[in-house]
Amino acid sequence: MYVLGVETSCDETSVSIVKDGKEVLSNEVLSQIDIHKEYGGVVPEIASREHIKGITFVFDKAIRDAGIGFDDIDLIAVTEGPGLIGSLLIGVNAAKTISLNYHIPIIGVHHITGHIYASNIENDMQFPLIALVVSGGHTELILMKEHFSFEKLGETQDDAVGEAYDKVARVLGLPYPGGPVVDKLSRQGIDKYHFPRPMIDTDDFNFSFSGLKSHVINLHHNMIQRNEHINAPDFCRSFQEAVTDVLVRKTIKAKEKYEVKQIVVAGGVAANSGLREKMRSSIQDIPVYFPKMAYCTDNAAMIAVAGYFKYLKQKKYDDLMLNGSSRLKMDEGEL
Amino acid sequence: MSKILVIDTATKNIYLSLVIDGVEKQSVFQEGINNHSVTIIPFLDEMLKKESVELKEIDEIIIGIGPGSYTGVRIGVTVAKMIGYMNATKVKTISSLALIASASEKEFVIPYVDARRGNAFLAAFRQVNGKLEYIEFDMMRNVEEYLRTWKFDYDFISEGHPKIQKILNSDLLETVDNVNDLQPNYLRITEAERNKNEDKN
Ligand SMILES: [Zn+2]
Repeated sequence: MYVLGVETSCDETSVSIVKDGKEVLSNEVLSQIDIHKEYGGVVPEIASREHIKGITFVFDKAIRDAGIGFDDIDLIAVTEGPGLIGSLLIGVNAAKTISLNYHIPIIGVHHITGHIYASNIENDMQFPLIALVVSGGHTELILMKEHFSFEKLGETQDDAVGEAYDKVARVLGLPYPGGPVVDKLSRQGIDKYHFPRPMIDTDDFNFSFSGLKSHVINLHHNMIQRNEHINAPDFCRSFQEAVTDVLVRKTIKAKEKYEVKQIVVAGGVAANSGLREKMRSSIQDIPVYFPKMAYCTDNAAMIAVAGYFKYLKQKKYDDLMLNGSSRLKMDEGEL
Repeated sequence: MSKILVIDTATKNIYLSLVIDGVEKQSVFQEGINNHSVTIIPFLDEMLKKESVELKEIDEIIIGIGPGSYTGVRIGVTVAKMIGYMNATKVKTISSLALIASASEKEFVIPYVDARRGNAFLAAFRQVNGKLEYIEFDMMRNVEEYLRTWKFDYDFISEGHPKIQKILNSDLLETVDNVNDLQPNYLRITEAERNKNEDKN
């Protein structure tokens, strides 16, 4: 079964062809990061304008790379949300146009299920499993007892991890996106400040990062006021240690409570080297899978894979009324 | 047989038309309900089915490229762009303001789309013997200021079921050479870009 994946929820225009939920024949990603860098974050209207500029080019590249024709596609999977609405609508309408043109069924996919299913490309999922989804918009712990069944155990009460990274980076005068830069600098620093680990010992599976973020920002501000030398690597390392301690501890707690067979870490922050190392060194009795970098950040391959498993589970398609939704919610058994 | 598909989603109204051999066989003009993203493909599907035409068989697309609602216009342009790309269909663009103007019978017509804070996207047309011509090209202006410059009796309209024949008979259509380059005519850079430019100056 050939699935065409389409992802335009934020600032990446991506189209992919995946065979049988596993074999990635092509995964074309047109990133706008260099454009949004100048604004210190994603500007929604600019993102939409860039998506529409590049959309046919990306489809064409993905189809050519896969060496198939539109006629060969069995299912179209498109991100319907959550995300930037103007951006989502371009992917959704492009996908619906293909559906109408070639009479190919279409299925809407929740972006986060895509991130989780990115893991299945390289390692088959084994249930039950815990997925830790960490990105610029999400920090969630999800329990999956079988394919395409999602139970949200907990989530951030305020900032997403990636968001906290970006804000800390901005205060330190580091370029956007902050995550990779903070990660890189932290390798040269030490955990000098030992920042608080918010909610690390609470009984639930929720997170909070805004207090930690404020703490970092306040310390930085006070040091500037006192004319003290700011050592960015030490700031980054101290922040990263605090964040990853919380993420790892909560994941372990969930692992033990639900006796899971594997851990999947998904989303852009899954690319963080500190998180990877700490997760792997702290959890050794069951496998911890991180998708490879190209599948951590937003991409359409993960949407195609999720769409494939969603179809297998639900055995139904969406109709042509399918729409984008910026705040797509969890519904019955599905994110 | 020539089959032309017309699409415009730049205003709160959606307009679709299927012209076969010079005759408008089907058209949809839905007012007020701003959910083009939901309806455009189902409406297209319905129109095509009624005429037993496949999307692949369309010979030419005429797409309203704005100015108008940024999110709205992108929906139609995305659809037109994809059809043009998949089927190598010839694509022509038309100002969404010209489509609005075509609904009027007055000699002088000023079509507009509200752009907030007293501004509008507007243009001025003259029609003689049913032939629509620009007097002033698409622009964004303060409405009161602009209308004060007008001495003739004119029709100032923001909506109306387009008369596609007038558009087909006009010289207002522009052929798109490479469909990959097709994008809306926003008429304005984004606020973020404006702010950045101001910071520089
Ligand atoms: Zn994402």
